[in-house]
Amino acid sequence: MRWLVRKAWTLVAVYFAYMLEYRGEIFFWMLSGITPFFFMSAWTAAANQGLTGYDANDYARYFFAVFVARQLGIVWAHWNMSEDVRSGRFSFRLLQPLDPVWHYLADHVGERGVRLPMLAVVGLVFAWLYPEALVWPGAERAALGLVAVGLAFGVNFFASYVVGLLALWLEDATSIYNLWYVAMLFFSGMLAPLALYPDPVRQVLAWTPFPHLVYLPAAIWSGLEADATRGLLTLLAWNLFFFTLGRLLWHLGRRHYSAMGA
Amino acid sequence: MRYLKLLTLFWQTSLAARMEYRTAFALAFLEAGLEAAGKLFGVYLFYANGFDLGGWRWQEALVVLGLASLLDAFFIGVFNPNLRRISEMVQDGTLDFVLLKPASSQFWVSVQQFAAEGVPFVLMSLGLLGYAGAVAGLDAAGWLRLGLGAAAALLLAYAVAFLFATTSIWFVKIFNVVYFLNTIVWTGQYPVQAYSRPFRLFMTFVLPVYFMTTAPAEVALARLPASWLLVVFAVAGGVLVLSRAFWRFALRFYASASS
Repeated sequence: MRWLVRKAWTLVAVYFAYMLEYRGEIFFWMLSGITPFFFMSAWTAAANQGLTGYDANDYARYFFAVFVARQLGIVWAHWNMSEDVRSGRFSFRLLQPLDPVWHYLADHVGERGVRLPMLAVVGLVFAWLYPEALVWPGAERAALGLVAVGLAFGVNFFASYVVGLLALWLEDATSIYNLWYVAMLFFSGMLAPLALYPDPVRQVLAWTPFPHLVYLPAAIWSGLEADATRGLLTLLAWNLFFFTLGRLLWHLGRRHYSAMGA
Repeated sequence: MRYLKLLTLFWQTSLAARMEYRTAFALAFLEAGLEAAGKLFGVYLFYANGFDLGGWRWQEALVVLGLASLLDAFFIGVFNPNLRRISEMVQDGTLDFVLLKPASSQFWVSVQQFAAEGVPFVLMSLGLLGYAGAVAGLDAAGWLRLGLGAAAALLLAYAVAFLFATTSIWFVKIFNVVYFLNTIVWTGQYPVQAYSRPFRLFMTFVLPVYFMTTAPAEVALARLPASWLLVVFAVAGGVLVLSRAFWRFALRFYASASS
């Protein structure tokens, strides 16, 4: 058990150091996630005209939470895996007595260590600009939101892992993940709180992972209406689905890998 | 003329190289369709909840959306692959080879790559723009203004993106900057009047998204006099000149990775 912890810790520390090198990029990457604030601005203008059931503070709080939830859920395993397969680096990963998935997971965990301080800075700026919008949701809600974010990260990561494994057949699978990403953009609640979506759309979306990836944690944190039990169970189910699919593809794909560049 | 020949050569080779990944190309059609649907859904959400984006009819707002989609498509097809390449070339020193070529280095690094995946997006955005213009009731002069406005918007978007990409001479690993710009263009999907004042000012004077989507649409729809086209072109030309000067300035600091 102890060597396992030590191994995991070493992996994460290595990737943390590696990501620290890329801090400038991560910063700009985070800046490119500021779209929710523009939606906040537009919906606030709508609220000021007396439209929709929320007020300006609700929107500020909600879209800030959306921003945080999205930042914590970002994954790129499909990208790294496609690169590794294409360049032949994947062969070296296979030689190690360690399932490659741990490399990719540690990469993401280590990166969060670099992203979190930057996220805190954005949070401070936001608190300074919109002091009345930030309200501590209470320990229980904060924790529940974190659980949702954790599960959402799991779904994102395993979906990305599945797409990455498809690279063993297709060489470049990143474009498949784009479909997932586009669906996330429009159907995760980033455009508006889900209550503003038309009912039929909302009912269909509830079965997909998308609204639970962003809306669920954001709504829990910002005090908007959310069916937490159902949302968390849906996330759990999708985690299981992508995890199983990923392990299946891993066992099939290993035999199919042709080691480019070797 | 020489540059036209170069461009054809560049794009032919890029196309040939990308054709290795045919699945990606096929999927891009699906993605372009999904994205267009999502963008329309975004506009629909505002109008369904009674918000008119600061005084726009939905037909008119679609013209703005169409222009933003066109810019998006160019980012995917041309700007992103090339500008990312710049920071790669700075990283591994292959920028040396470009600088030695007897052609404008800015031209070379700006158009060398062409991602075929951009094609479905261009088609989709042209379709969207065509539909928007038709339902908004553009006359012949309006279409002409729209075409000119779109051209100016593309120039401006390129110039701004190139300005940012140039900083990779100093910062080396900075290709996410391009994604940042994509986001900024994304915010131009809706007319600037939809946003609150600080955002509006930011989008006009800091990052000139206003001149990329809202202003050309306003000119095309005759919400602004046609002479405003000159303003849009002046802004685009100004940033273009600036980007050129900045590129030359930056090259003085380029130390080459191998030496």
